[in-house]
Amino acid sequence: MKTILYLVTFCMFGIFGYSQTTVKGSVVDQDNQPIPGANVVITGKSVGTVTDFDGNFILETSEVPPFSLKITSIGYSESVKNITANNQNIAVVLNETQTLLDEIVISASRTPERIFESPVTVERFGIEAIKNTTAADFYGGLENLKGVDVNTNSLTFKSVNTRGFASFANTRFMQLVDGMDNSTPALNFPIGNLVGMVETDVLSVELLPGASSALYGANAFNGILFMRSKSPFDYEGISVSIKRGITSQESAGDNSYTDFGIRAAHKFSDKFAGKVNFGYLKGTDWAATSEVDKIDPSRTRADYDYDGINVYGDEVSTNIRAASGLGIIPDVEVSRTGYNERVLTNYNAESIKADWGLYYRPIEDNSLELSYVGKVGTGNTIYQGTNRYNIKGFFQEQHKLEIKNDNFFLRGYVVADKAGNSYDMVFTGININRAWKSDEDWFGDYIATYAGIELAGNPSGLTDQQKHDQARAAADTGRFLPGSQEFQNAFDIVIKDPNLATGSQFKDASIYYHSDANYNFSHLIDFAEIQVGGSYRRYSLNSGGTIYTDFDGPIDYSEYGVYTQVQKKIDLANEKSIKLTGSVRYDKSEFFDGFYSPRISAGYTLSRDHNIRASVQTGFRNPTTQDLFIGLDAGRAVLVGSAPDNLDRYSRTYDVSQAGRDGGQPDTVDQTGRAAYENSYTFSSVTALGETGNPAVLEIANPSVVKPEQVTSAEIGYRGKVSKLVIDFSAYYNKYKDFISQEVVIAPYYGEVNNPNGLAIQAIANGDFQAYSAYTNSSADINSYGASIGLDMKVLGNFDLGGSYTFTKLDFDRDANPDVMLNFNTPEHKFKANFGNEELFKNFGFNLSYRFSDDYFWEATFGEGVVPEFHVLDAQISYAVPSIKSLFKLGGTNITGQEYFTAFGTGFIGSMYYLSWTINN
Amino acid sequence: MFDMKNLKYIFIASSLLLFTNCNDPEDVDLNPMEVEEPKPALVAGSANFSDYVALGASFTAGYSDGALFKASQENSFPKLLSNQFALAGGGSFTQPLMADNTGAFLGIPTSAVGYRLVFNGTGPQRLNEFFTALGAPVPQPTTNPTQNLGSTFNNVGVPGAKSFHFTLPGYAAFNPYYARFATSASSTMLGDAAVLQSPSFFTLSEFGGNDVLSFATSGGLGVDRTGDPNAAGYSPLDITDPGLFGQVLEGVVGQLTANGAKGAIANLPDITSLPYFTTIPNDALNLDAATAASLTGFFQAVTGIFTQVLIQQQVPPANAQALAAQYAITFQAGPNRFLIDVPVSQTNPLGFRQMTEDELLLLPIDRAALAQGYGSVLLTPQVLQVLGILQAGGTPTPEQAGLVLAAVNGIDDKDALDSSELLSIKTATAAYNAKISEVANAAGLALVDLNSVLDAAANGGFTSGNYNFTTNLVTGGIVSLDGIHLNSRGYAVMANEFLKAIDAKYGSNFEASGSLLNVGDYPTNYSPTLQ
Repeated sequence: MKTILYLVTFCMFGIFGYSQTTVKGSVVDQDNQPIPGANVVITGKSVGTVTDFDGNFILETSEVPPFSLKITSIGYSESVKNITANNQNIAVVLNETQTLLDEIVISASRTPERIFESPVTVERFGIEAIKNTTAADFYGGLENLKGVDVNTNSLTFKSVNTRGFASFANTRFMQLVDGMDNSTPALNFPIGNLVGMVETDVLSVELLPGASSALYGANAFNGILFMRSKSPFDYEGISVSIKRGITSQESAGDNSYTDFGIRAAHKFSDKFAGKVNFGYLKGTDWAATSEVDKIDPSRTRADYDYDGINVYGDEVSTNIRAASGLGIIPDVEVSRTGYNERVLTNYNAESIKADWGLYYRPIEDNSLELSYVGKVGTGNTIYQGTNRYNIKGFFQEQHKLEIKNDNFFLRGYVVADKAGNSYDMVFTGININRAWKSDEDWFGDYIATYAGIELAGNPSGLTDQQKHDQARAAADTGRFLPGSQEFQNAFDIVIKDPNLATGSQFKDASIYYHSDANYNFSHLIDFAEIQVGGSYRRYSLNSGGTIYTDFDGPIDYSEYGVYTQVQKKIDLANEKSIKLTGSVRYDKSEFFDGFYSPRISAGYTLSRDHNIRASVQTGFRNPTTQDLFIGLDAGRAVLVGSAPDNLDRYSRTYDVSQAGRDGGQPDTVDQTGRAAYENSYTFSSVTALGETGNPAVLEIANPSVVKPEQVTSAEIGYRGKVSKLVIDFSAYYNKYKDFISQEVVIAPYYGEVNNPNGLAIQAIANGDFQAYSAYTNSSADINSYGASIGLDMKVLGNFDLGGSYTFTKLDFDRDANPDVMLNFNTPEHKFKANFGNEELFKNFGFNLSYRFSDDYFWEATFGEGVVPEFHVLDAQISYAVPSIKSLFKLGGTNITGQEYFTAFGTGFIGSMYYLSWTINN
Repeated sequence: MFDMKNLKYIFIASSLLLFTNCNDPEDVDLNPMEVEEPKPALVAGSANFSDYVALGASFTAGYSDGALFKASQENSFPKLLSNQFALAGGGSFTQPLMADNTGAFLGIPTSAVGYRLVFNGTGPQRLNEFFTALGAPVPQPTTNPTQNLGSTFNNVGVPGAKSFHFTLPGYAAFNPYYARFATSASSTMLGDAAVLQSPSFFTLSEFGGNDVLSFATSGGLGVDRTGDPNAAGYSPLDITDPGLFGQVLEGVVGQLTANGAKGAIANLPDITSLPYFTTIPNDALNLDAATAASLTGFFQAVTGIFTQVLIQQQVPPANAQALAAQYAITFQAGPNRFLIDVPVSQTNPLGFRQMTEDELLLLPIDRAALAQGYGSVLLTPQVLQVLGILQAGGTPTPEQAGLVLAAVNGIDDKDALDSSELLSIKTATAAYNAKISEVANAAGLALVDLNSVLDAAANGGFTSGNYNFTTNLVTGGIVSLDGIHLNSRGYAVMANEFLKAIDAKYGSNFEASGSLLNVGDYPTNYSPTLQ
């Protein structure tokens, strides 16, 4: 108690006692409009403040005049004012720079630099952009950035990607919040912003398309999203954002939507500050109700082998001829009757997140800062991976300790998740069916009914379809109907059972520990800016044997990396300069040989308004935890990761067929995952065997165990300003090596595939085999290339008009590599445009955003199909009320109401209409 | 540098250009869905289907489920073929339809020509027995075999006809099916088909089938007449001499093609792979360990007793032991092969042995009897008593010894096909097929390989359309309830094989144009209620 009192006294003292100099002032633009959020910093120090909503600031400092203040704000040229006396009152006018080129980014080189001079392509999304975005939240607003693809999984789970190769399991793209990876330990990728940042705390979002492995290590492979929060030293006070509205979708109807965020930050002294954020979002997800057949769109629900996209349970199918052995039964696949997704979830989309941070600057007027940040998030969303998952009550926490100054940082953090009540909706459908009637009994009833009709001489003269209908009706008699108590009881049991043979629970409590450090020698060395750094990560997989092969306790393994970067700017005559950057990173995982990934880039500044850049870099990606340690029977295939000691960790006992037993085989065979990698045939050749009956077509698969994937990326770019037009152009070519992909293989229960005695072939013929999905590297030649151009300018006076076009192309011989699944999933052409005016008349602004995506083919484990082209128009109007420090925004996304989707299998994206009220942000 | 206004327009113009450029939906690779190419129109090639005549035996007639009846005739393979021919210039096709769907004849005892078989829920049963068991009235046959239909018919298929019957004048007197539509008392099948109708196209099928079938279904009671072309001396159960068969075939084909007709000829399946011969397993003697041991002991006793008998008949002991040793049959727990009676001979003086793996039991065998010791030993208490004496080291009396030997209850010749009988059937069938192939090639006819269809069905399955057929009885999908003839789905398969062979020979395109039959449209069974 005494200590606390002492602390409080200390803090009070800190606030009032040390302030010797007070400076007051206001910051306005050239039209005398206040500039809120402008930075006011004592030159050469990290001490400063930020203007409030009316552009006013009060700076209290121990610094004794004279000193100078640097006033900066994004989109404005900086200004320096000399302070000569205490209680001086200053008026600052900042001129709009008109261009985005002067924005400062730090992600590209891990050091602040003008976006104009960045050695690689960077997209920036700052406070102003968040204010003006037409999207319902800042994360959704990323969709309007040049070159960015946002795949919408759910209202609360959007997956950001650049330059292709994206499924929702976007393991090639990294997301950092204040330097902390917020990918989910269980899944290896971030669940959008579900446990990310509260909007009122967002300082800026930077997005680097392309590989950044040289600085950020594995996974920063296709791109990286870099989110930074507001420091409580710079941004104090309470800010609130309240958003209410509706989501409108044909299948789900109109549903209310609430998004609330609050940020409270306080600088107790120049040394000590803290902040707390809280966010709450509740809405109704886009309902996925497609009944189109997943395999053959021409089939309807009446088809006996129907497998609806969003109908689950009908994935279970069997060849009734093979199952019965009866020649009178048609040699066709028949599927069980499924349940629509909408009866297996209530589409509740919810996100509750909170974070807090304590920051301590022990030495006055020194940038050294110690901090602790904690983050928790829980929520409900939909994730579409191999199946569609209802992520329910998912919980993730992160804790970070960091020490840094202008020249270095050292941080360590831990990320842990708990899957909560999450479940796999596909297996829910499958296992409610099984809870009612086993597959064997159901198909038995079906076959018996069908055979009965045939043997009785089909007295009613039924058609084939009618015979199937009768067989299904007989097999389905007594089925649990949605809405019934028995259905609900079965549902409740199934979603709490993690065994996929009987249940559908998604269970996980994995953790990873990460630390990284960076030192910038620029204050010590003059001839070039040199940085060195490193990182270490330890995984602890803990799914209780339900996803990973961690049935006997958590699986632990680790990886580390070190890097260095040298940057040299050479000034030439006439404002011209060359900036050369070289970096190299060495990474080592417990399971793989070390890797060097270098990057070299050059920027040539022709003048203040023209810059040309070129870079060549390599990236690499370690196999994910799933690639290494998964052991999951997904129904049609067993997924087995290929870490060296995982091959024997997955083992199952299989029944041998009667024919196999007659041939002298035992009744059961124990098979481990090793069989997939060391004794298997390719899936396509086994299919061909089924068609041709010729054993010579069989091809040995024996895929090699997975190793890191590499990319070499060459990029050129131009940024510049011609009159009032800002141009940003880039083009790249990526060449992939050892692309990590899954390959379906068939492993016989007995016989060796490379032994000519034919026993393995006999096993295949007897149906004594198991399908595996093996994790391996493709030897195929995979390249991609693309370009994007963005143009922004002021028109008609004060209107902002911008547009971008992105071209993305995969260069790959699909015919030659039918078994490789690339998940490229990116339209060849994208066009985005925006038109708006922040100040159409006093306090009133508007913005319109338009997006066009070309059609593309979506391929992922859940299913594949065409994503048709779409045009989306979003709009907002805003009205500021300075007297209450408020901004009101009325907006709508997809206001034409034309529903669209960005991925095969998800719900259609409808419209959102919202009214938001932001206070003091 | 640039003029502001111009730039603005360039920008807007380029935006519009982008829209229009990207709006082509066809730039996505729609690869899993291949667009189906339209099929070509049906053509007849060099064949002329305007006057089609089918000549053959039971398959041609449409015989199914152990009988010939109206519905089965309407699904006969020639009728189905004629429907497809009609799409390519074919004309009408007439058949000597039975008057009803009973399968039996008015005035002929059902012991000679029975009612058709139906599926009664567990297995095939004669329609009349089926109704009787249900207590329902049995429909009476209305087909009068003595009433001649007085016309020629496109379908000259006569159940039971052997090769030499095709050219036998007055055959109608021996076959009620032919009697109904023979053009005269002395007419021949060939004459009615070829001479009187002068077809532009013909099919000849199961020619020679009955030449081995009656032998096989009798359990080989007949004689293999190979080398003896004198048909007048044959009994109905004999195997026809392949030489005679060849002679008749050449004559028949010569007559059919005399006017330049084109045609197709089907070869013969190996009938021993049909369910009539394969349904009853020869190793269905399922024993528990105790019974197996006592049976083994029994046959040791038989060996011992018979050795003594031989020695008493002055056979040297070593020879006696060697000869008797063949009866020391051992049995294991689980399935064991039955015993079969064979002719008594010098080498097998007791006239029985265990069946070999490939030997076959016939469908009509009394299955209840098999369960009661038919095919093994009738272990009566008296026999067991003798065995007890032997086990105790005692010597049975001659009467007791006789009791033991008499207890052996091998399967009768009529219920089984033994190795030598099987060899006769296979050899004759192979010889017939070689001749059929030779004649077809010589005459430029389409050859339909029915043999390989049924061979595939018997060995793993024959795939046609959405089906994969086997030769299992009832459930195989292709063979009717009698275990020999096809069901209507089988006849549709057969028709498709004809169409494919005709395509190959005459350049028609039934298959390529999508004009094959959908076999699933034809039933596997006929309803008992079909009147």
